Amino acid sequence: MTGKPLHDYSITEAGTMLREGKVTSMELTKHALDRIGALDGAINSFILVTAERALSDAETADADFAKGIDKGPMQGIPYALKDIYDTAGIPSTCHSKLRVDVVPEQDCVVEQAFKAQGGVMLGKLATHEFAIGGPSFDLPFPPARNPWNPDHIPGGSSSGSGAAVAAGFVRMAMGSDTGGSIRGPAAYCGTVGLKPTYGLLSRRGIFPLSYTLDHAGPLGWTVEDCAITMDTITSYDPLDPGSANVPKPDYLGALGKGVEGLKIGMPRHWYEKAEGASAETIKAIDDAAQLLAKLGAEVETIELPEYDLFNACGRVIMFSEAFAIHEKDYQTRPLDFGMLTYMRMTLGAFVTAADLTQAMRLRRELAQAVNAKLKSYDAIICASALAPAPRFADMPVGMPANWPIHTMPFNVTGNPAMSIPTGFSASGLPLSMQIAGRAFDEPTVLRIGAAFEAAAQIQTKRPSLELARAAA
Amino acid sequence: MATPPDDTALMQEFDVFAARAGLDIPADRKDKLFLGFKDLRQMLALIRQPRTAAAEPAGVYSLETITRSV
Repeated sequence: MTGKPLHDYSITEAGTMLREGKVTSMELTKHALDRIGALDGAINSFILVTAERALSDAETADADFAKGIDKGPMQGIPYALKDIYDTAGIPSTCHSKLRVDVVPEQDCVVEQAFKAQGGVMLGKLATHEFAIGGPSFDLPFPPARNPWNPDHIPGGSSSGSGAAVAAGFVRMAMGSDTGGSIRGPAAYCGTVGLKPTYGLLSRRGIFPLSYTLDHAGPLGWTVEDCAITMDTITSYDPLDPGSANVPKPDYLGALGKGVEGLKIGMPRHWYEKAEGASAETIKAIDDAAQLLAKLGAEVETIELPEYDLFNACGRVIMFSEAFAIHEKDYQTRPLDFGMLTYMRMTLGAFVTAADLTQAMRLRRELAQAVNAKLKSYDAIICASALAPAPRFADMPVGMPANWPIHTMPFNVTGNPAMSIPTGFSASGLPLSMQIAGRAFDEPTVLRIGAAFEAAAQIQTKRPSLELARAAA
Repeated sequence: MATPPDDTALMQEFDVFAARAGLDIPADRKDKLFLGFKDLRQMLALIRQPRTAAAEPAGVYSLETITRSV
């Protein structure tokens, strides 16, 4: 081992040390558990730490290494799951009073893959209730907080996933993304967050928010951490009706190839004059575009349909599908939902069949417009969040049109999209941008992200001092 | 362009929708939910702009053609 703390080793670096006998999975796991024990009280990223399970997983991984059994890059590596992922024998609460006693009998498909490949599950992470209602103080568990400043939100709904990765509790945590719930926390917490192409990862066993907009995906400290995760869990699932039967992309092969010759479009009109857009955020995206151009990409301003159309289309579909899922509980036990969940999801009751049909028609038109543009461009870069993470006190109750996370377009279209850090605000909070690509072309999205990450060197900084101060 | 309904008319519409959905909205949540309803109505107006031929209903109910269209 060299001088840096164990949580600062990437999945690849830790994997190499595990295979060379320079560290054990038990050491990695105990380090992570100790760090969570010391610091998570300040940010509440975990709902449940499954220490016993983690130590057992680590013991198994070390025994396998000793016997020469190698199940893949996640063997012996700690990870954690948003608490809407079903885990056999372990509560899966959706951060809700309605499911506080639910203990699934089966693992979700993603967890089955991690288990089969020797990962070490540390626990279940905080979320907005049912992946929509938060940050809330009227739920059975407290809301996660931002490790860079616990007075600020970590984003959501994969709030614990973003906070735990940024805090160095895990290199990678799984989230879900229906309108930006992976990319929002990644943006606010300064991590990488990948929403893959619709259908690339199985959602079976993950509690749904909106069937046609839901995506599973990883939040990682680096692009490579996300790429390794995707390689571990991608598979066709005939029992997930949205699953795509396509060849598994080569996620890792394109990393390190640079961006020379790639053509990237920037729909600046989506965010440059949007209400609430911060000058720091826009400048950081412009600087990132210049850096990519310096690295050899051709970056051009492009026009797409207006952002508000994507947002309205996605919201109408999401509210409708979410309310349909929870309709009976809204009729029989409405007060068991937290206030924010109630205020947002109930809106689905006010959408007519004609409204939903219009939204679905618009969705097809918007998807075609984006995909037509991507015939001429390899990728799109734009804002993930319009500004750094707001304070808890500044969060709206509903989901107004000027929502500060700008991620809905690629839930509507299904294209892969990744949030990546671009720097820090004057107040010390992370800034970010979004990279989106063609359907099933995650390798190009990851390739651009990796090239930018290597050149910009932003992930050298951790919120350790801020966290330690808050935990003291 | 039609004049937007005033809050009284909107509240009547809100109550009809809630009753139709079988909801008994708690009194202390009604005012805030009504604000969300007004935001939603703006979004519903936005999605009712003229569409192109791409918005063909035959493709609407296939995820292959909605989310991965070319």
